[in-house]
Amino acid sequence: MKKINFVFSTKLTFDDYVEEHSIALRCIPPETETQHIVSCQLEITPLISTNRTVDAFGNNVTSGYIAKPHRFLDFEVRCTAELDKTKRRTDFMPCYSRFSEYTKPDGALYDFHRQIKNDSLSPLERAKYYSERLHEIMSYETNSTTIKTTAAQAFAQKKGVCQDFSHIILSLLRIDGIPCRYIAGLTESGGETHSWIEVWTGECWRGFDPTSVIFVEDEYITLSQGCDFGDCAIDRGVMKGAFTRQMQLVSSRITVE
Amino acid sequence: MGTISIISVEHSDRLFWLGRYTERFFTTLKALEKLYDSVIDKDQYGYREYLSAFGLSDVYNDYKEFFKSFIFDRSNESSAAYSLSRAYDNGIVLREEISTEALSFIQLALDDLDRAQNSNQGLRLALHPIEDTIFGFWGCVDDHVCDNETRYIIHCGKIIERLDIYLRLKYPFEIIDAEFGRLCRCLSGIPKNSPYHYNQKQLSSLVEIMGLKDGYTEQKDLAVSSLEALFEPTGRS
Amino acid sequence: MENISFPSANVKEINELLRRYGVKFGIYKNGEFKEQLFPFDTIPRVISADSFSYLEKGLIQRVDALNMFLYDIYHEKKIIADKIIPEEFVYISSGYLPQCEGITPPKKIYSHISGIDLVEGKDGEWYILEDNLRIPSGASYPLIARELTRTASPDCFSQSGIVDNRNYAELLRSAMDSVNCGGINAILTPGRYNAAYFEHSYLAELTGAALVQNNELFVEDNMLFQKTYTGGKTRIGALYRRISDEYLDPLTFNPCSVIGVPNLTEAYRAGNVAVINALGNGVADDKGIYYFVPKMIKYYLNEEPILKNAPTYLPFYEEDRKYVLENLEKLVIKDVAEAGGYGVVFGSDLTAEKLADFRQTIINEPRRFIAQEVIDFKDLPIIENGEQVMRKADLRAFVLSGEKTRVWASGLTRFSRNPDSFVVNSSQGGGFKDTWVLSR
Repeated sequence: MKKINFVFSTKLTFDDYVEEHSIALRCIPPETETQHIVSCQLEITPLISTNRTVDAFGNNVTSGYIAKPHRFLDFEVRCTAELDKTKRRTDFMPCYSRFSEYTKPDGALYDFHRQIKNDSLSPLERAKYYSERLHEIMSYETNSTTIKTTAAQAFAQKKGVCQDFSHIILSLLRIDGIPCRYIAGLTESGGETHSWIEVWTGECWRGFDPTSVIFVEDEYITLSQGCDFGDCAIDRGVMKGAFTRQMQLVSSRITVE
Repeated sequence: MGTISIISVEHSDRLFWLGRYTERFFTTLKALEKLYDSVIDKDQYGYREYLSAFGLSDVYNDYKEFFKSFIFDRSNESSAAYSLSRAYDNGIVLREEISTEALSFIQLALDDLDRAQNSNQGLRLALHPIEDTIFGFWGCVDDHVCDNETRYIIHCGKIIERLDIYLRLKYPFEIIDAEFGRLCRCLSGIPKNSPYHYNQKQLSSLVEIMGLKDGYTEQKDLAVSSLEALFEPTGRS
Repeated sequence: MENISFPSANVKEINELLRRYGVKFGIYKNGEFKEQLFPFDTIPRVISADSFSYLEKGLIQRVDALNMFLYDIYHEKKIIADKIIPEEFVYISSGYLPQCEGITPPKKIYSHISGIDLVEGKDGEWYILEDNLRIPSGASYPLIARELTRTASPDCFSQSGIVDNRNYAELLRSAMDSVNCGGINAILTPGRYNAAYFEHSYLAELTGAALVQNNELFVEDNMLFQKTYTGGKTRIGALYRRISDEYLDPLTFNPCSVIGVPNLTEAYRAGNVAVINALGNGVADDKGIYYFVPKMIKYYLNEEPILKNAPTYLPFYEEDRKYVLENLEKLVIKDVAEAGGYGVVFGSDLTAEKLADFRQTIINEPRRFIAQEVIDFKDLPIIENGEQVMRKADLRAFVLSGEKTRVWASGLTRFSRNPDSFVVNSSQGGGFKDTWVLSR
């Protein structure tokens, strides 16, 4: 078990005024068997009234609406949590076995799966093995994909970021019929948000990081979970205005007590 | 089955423009009929004055071609037919506000206009039923719409359009003055924080011009532009 | 039924009236928007009082079971645990939305307005063809046609006890009122260029609901509001939306949607607005789930199904697949992913070569298709060029669920204008009739 404090903040700036801005944030970590949230505060500027719901996947959703013109939106989460990955989560949903928007395989992914298929491995071992094989032909490259890139698209260009590695491994495991899910969160190394996956062993979830090819331990903090990135976006917004560009700065800082 | 007294932004716009286009159609048709009456035996190029009142130049071979275009040609944005199809576009999204019955009069007018175009009757006779249809439309709107604000918005559109054409065509002052009085009554019924609340500066300018009585024609261009700017935001809040 | 007399007004007169009152649907042809008439035939479909009371019982039973199924699927999933429906058929359906897991709509009603398509066989038996539980359209057409037919031919209504169908707006309004979470009722339309815009605006007019588009709506404090022109806001408590699930909320579903309302799902989840019909209903009117509806009725209601499905085979099951592959030329095959009369193939229309290809497609993707026996359904008379001719026709019955489940004593009868076609969909050029239910 580990007790940690983290600060996660993002600054969103527009090059012109925006208004009628609706937001949905999934940045308050859920309370689970493996992470106990001791305290958590979310601060949003400009100051708006917000509401909290828990979505179907168990994520804390903070929704808000900013009617008036504004040029920036900042939010900061300050949280203290106790992490214990020796415990196991068991919140299963049937959709985790199904292909989703981002994880639907194409011919190339099916072909790749045929080449590396190994039924003798356990689900968790398989996630590791598939990731190792994937890294042989695909490289990690910052900014090589966008938030809209699907597993099939990233696989076609053989480069991507953590989100893409997660999607491809989810896609391959789901071809095998193994339930698995997407996780968005933070790691002790800080910086931007990270993505990894969880694999259903038949009884519980086990975390695996396809980008770093390691099993998930206590340095991973889950912010949201779902079938794929579409269910897990940390911040989403819809706004009106004549802006042409938006810039987002994300940072996180984690200290271990 | 009454109307909803809460007006949305979208509806207020549509109501205003439904009023304007229906009236633009009607008043254009009326003005053209009057003009037609004079070109047949007085001045066969009399329509040029009409064109110049709207800042348009004569590209027609004769008055027959002019009337055909200004009454029936939907591709001519100054024609009666064009205004009527715009009225239809605005009306179609107001069914639940003004009623299916009221909307059907616009459809009838469109049909009447088609029929008049293909009719062997004299032009004025063929156009005659359309006026009745438009009166039917207004009767139906007034009969159905209970909410005063809704009524004021659509009438604002109607009277502004009427004044605009009357001013351009230099109608007698008494007629203009009567319509201006109507406009002021409509304006006073629209809440201050709505997009159809008048701009004080523009209204004052109109009041001043009306003070010139018959001399208003000297300032008619200013009057038309004040009318056009009547709902411009007064200032930054 | 011999003593029924049909409207004396001719087809042209009533169609002229329909045109005048704006009964049109929009279509895009070569990139241009056009308004088309939905051709109306004056000879009604007549349903006897006995037949209707039988249909009524069967439809209420079916819709109640479907509503219970939807609740079950998004909560405990007992019907799967009890192995009545294989889970493959539920979760693979594109209409199943995991985002809706655990949401309980007001009064547990998912399908407030259900459009159930039936045909009457030559044997006099009614068969269910499909359930439409998402945004079934079409009620406005027989509704206004009745009004106009009564105007044009009042005499034929004076004698025979035809149940007045003009209470549809009342039924719809009470269905909306019964789930309203506080605020006004509103109908959300994608706009006048939508094919069903006439219906949206006409139903708004008749029910007194506000007709709204997404750009005038917003969600604040988990409540849905309409902006007013004076800068204020009006709360909406029930939203009869005529936009499909995937476009309804860009923050939960398709992020590219420009016709949705951001955070509507959160307001709905918080119980502050009723969404009519509920989100995620597509899982119950999936062509693959159709097969299981009679089993649902037994499971949830412990009753024998009153209305029959058309004999249906699921190639997913080995035994059925064998039958389908052997009898393909006499079956009708439906692609479960397609709607609106598309993706329907009659085996008898296919060449030997195409049949062989299709067999392979079925073997490759057995879950994608259902196969049905072609029902020899009763033709109905229509007037074409002044002559009476017989054409295929179906019936869309409307079932409204609020405080109680009620069947509208009418329905949309659609017919095929092509004498050789069984497809009666309006998007494929069909026409419609009024449906008369007799009171005795």
